[in-house]
Amino acid sequence: MDRMRVWLSRTQLQALVVLTSLLLTSCSTSVWVEADFPQPLVNRLPVRMGLILDDDLLDYVHYEELPRQAAYTIQIGEANELMLVQLFQSMFTDIEQFNDFSLIQTNIAEIDGVLWPELERFEFDVPLGQRDEFVEVWIQYLIKLYETDGQLVTEWPVSGYGKAEMVDREEALNRAIVVAMREVGATISTKFSDQPDLRNWLQGRKNAAPL
Amino acid sequence: MQHLYKQKCYPTIKSRISQIFLLAPIFLITLGGCGITSRIEPYKQSDVVIGEGESVVVLARKHHATHETEQRIVDCISDGLASGNDGLSVHNNIEFEDKLYPWFEPSMAPITTVELSELLERENVLNQVLSTGVRFVIWLDGSTTRVASGGGMTCAAGIGGAGCLGLGWWEDDSIYDATVWDIYELSSTGTIYADVKGRSVMPALVIPIPLIARPQLAACRGLTQQLRQFLTSSEYGNGPNTSSE
Repeated sequence: MDRMRVWLSRTQLQALVVLTSLLLTSCSTSVWVEADFPQPLVNRLPVRMGLILDDDLLDYVHYEELPRQAAYTIQIGEANELMLVQLFQSMFTDIEQFNDFSLIQTNIAEIDGVLWPELERFEFDVPLGQRDEFVEVWIQYLIKLYETDGQLVTEWPVSGYGKAEMVDREEALNRAIVVAMREVGATISTKFSDQPDLRNWLQGRKNAAPL
Repeated sequence: MQHLYKQKCYPTIKSRISQIFLLAPIFLITLGGCGITSRIEPYKQSDVVIGEGESVVVLARKHHATHETEQRIVDCISDGLASGNDGLSVHNNIEFEDKLYPWFEPSMAPITTVELSELLERENVLNQVLSTGVRFVIWLDGSTTRVASGGGMTCAAGIGGAGCLGLGWWEDDSIYDATVWDIYELSSTGTIYADVKGRSVMPALVIPIPLIARPQLAACRGLTQQLRQFLTSSEYGNGPNTSSE
């Protein structure tokens, strides 16, 4: 009888552990942003650029607990690299990727300038499961342009907004983030030459070309 | 024995018939409360029709802050236009947007045919559009929203069983307009407007019985039928078309 009591309590304990794990899992949502970003249909600017994608950008994870909702962990690092590399490869005649500015010094003769994008801000909103509601995402990057000697030319904040109808929460969040990132890419690829500091820099290279 | 059978069975049969007569009016009233009312107004400005080797693409308007056209109705209309023996050549909308990226993103897409004309002045964009074979762009704008709901239902479960009692209802309104652009002529060839209302009810007498009206599906079917005629018939007429089911 005593052995039976021990066996029952072990079984109950195991069931309790499993149930607790399930409950804890349902209180958090994890999204790994996945997408294929298309090449923008724009004319290439005849400049060769170095591109710094540092660890902060490549490993970017956003964690937030929304009121009355689950905690969200959103991994955007991989999508950042996919979007930005595809974008800049289509915008310039040549792109060379670096992880740190110090690594560029040996390649100065081969590039005209250095782009250093930074994910400055990420915000999102998920409705509480009502009809006719959308998941919304706001994302802002800071595109920094440096001369090859390290002198800052300009900083250009570029933001994007995306929304997606909420049928499945995680899938809608992924879609909204991708839409917002595509909007950022659209702005960068079409408005790069229109920024005064960037336009002056391009003209200084005597390689300016209209889109 | 026969007399005893009549004594036992006749009251039971009588009570069943009474129950049927009692429930039938409730059921008929419930059925009468649900249904779909649709109104479709086509307007065609020219007699141009789709030719051999030409394609269409259905795109959703996404620049509004308050709503966005649902992808499922875009897919529904695209699939509907492509299906059947007289199916049209329909280009996948996501692939079209990817090929023309970034020029058909929500913030960049041309809103008027004037903007379309300016966009196609870019040689690389024009060449890409021509390579897709698309001649007609169908812009779908609108959404399906719940405009009213009411009623209530109570469900309970116990040792002896479970069940629900009550009546719930809701009304959805699907309002869309499909504007057709001719890329070759750089002009709008016309618009088809659809307004479909559907009321759904769910009576519950022990078991909930959902009687779902699907106005979005009805809007899809109506628009698909009208768009097919719009694109293939040079004598396509104008004026409202109303129906109720």
